[in-house]
Amino acid sequence: MAASLVRFVRNGFGRSLNATVRPKDPVTHTQLSEFGEYIAEILPKYVQQVQVTCFNELELMIHPEGIIPVLTFLKDHTNAQFHNMTDLTAVDVPTRQYRFEIVYNLLSLRYNSRIRVKTYTDELSPLDSSVPVHQAADWYEREIWDMFGVFFANHPDLRRILTDYGFEGHPFRKDFPLSGYVEVRYDDEVKRVVAEPVELAQEFRKFDLNSPWEAFPAYHKRKSLHSEFLFGLLLASEDWLLPQ
Amino acid sequence: MAGVIKKVPIEVLLSLLKRLRILYTKILGSLQTMPQDAAYRKYTEQLITQRFNHVKSEHDVEKLEKKINCGQIEEVISQAEAELALSRKMTEWKPWEPLVEEAPANQWKWPI
Repeated sequence: MAASLVRFVRNGFGRSLNATVRPKDPVTHTQLSEFGEYIAEILPKYVQQVQVTCFNELELMIHPEGIIPVLTFLKDHTNAQFHNMTDLTAVDVPTRQYRFEIVYNLLSLRYNSRIRVKTYTDELSPLDSSVPVHQAADWYEREIWDMFGVFFANHPDLRRILTDYGFEGHPFRKDFPLSGYVEVRYDDEVKRVVAEPVELAQEFRKFDLNSPWEAFPAYHKRKSLHSEFLFGLLLASEDWLLPQ
Repeated sequence: MAGVIKKVPIEVLLSLLKRLRILYTKILGSLQTMPQDAAYRKYTEQLITQRFNHVKSEHDVEKLEKKINCGQIEEVISQAEAELALSRKMTEWKPWEPLVEEAPANQWKWPI
């Protein structure tokens, strides 16, 4: 009791005792959101949405036609100068109409700031390659092509980079299984490595790793009142709920 | 030899300032081809005229670098060259027009 009191006094009455909560930084937040508004004002043709995450990261959502204009603007404009492309990846969300979300991460050494640019596409629509703007995008786009199947138009050399030479399929898609479709083994008769359909020793076990508590209570979307009413009726009708 | 900074000859410095002046004039000329209410034109004109006034008023390169406060004069020149190329491409792309196409309803929703 005395020890906790001492800790309380030493921390000061103003500071929260919960040390794992990330301290908010309103100054950086306002700076980033003003810069985001500045970009959205200059490029209204392509920018669909601008947001600043809770970790103070600026994200710019653009239409796929605007990849080259927006990236060139961010690289060349004097107030932006994002000369470094730190990362280029894709995210597969199969439930969406345009399932692949392409994410560009840029860094400005002059202004010590980062920005994230996001676009979207589906399996068949090609995107403009950003290699003319940032050479770093070369192998990243090859990786996205190999792993997701997103085609980049005007890419200097778009071929597989990580999968085996005759590999079929795009491994990072959500519908591609964890073990894959083929496995390889050395065959002594033909004296080379052969690829055969995969045989698992144990069938694949899918564990339900959901916690009993709600993960994002702030984002809980209440369904309509009608379905909640029916759900309540269903619960009440269970035999074990009624008293004996 | 530590601490000895060689002086850059005056002809080189003057040519750098001349190059800057030429670049800024070209950028302002390229911006004239855009519509008056375009945000890019507005903000870039403001920025470039500010830097141009610094260049016109200050003839000492070191003081000019401090006034502009964006690195050395050679870096300022490369920024101006990039801005010039950008303004020429902007006249082609016309990014001040309204949005090309809205995203589908749940495209940017997260968590799904």
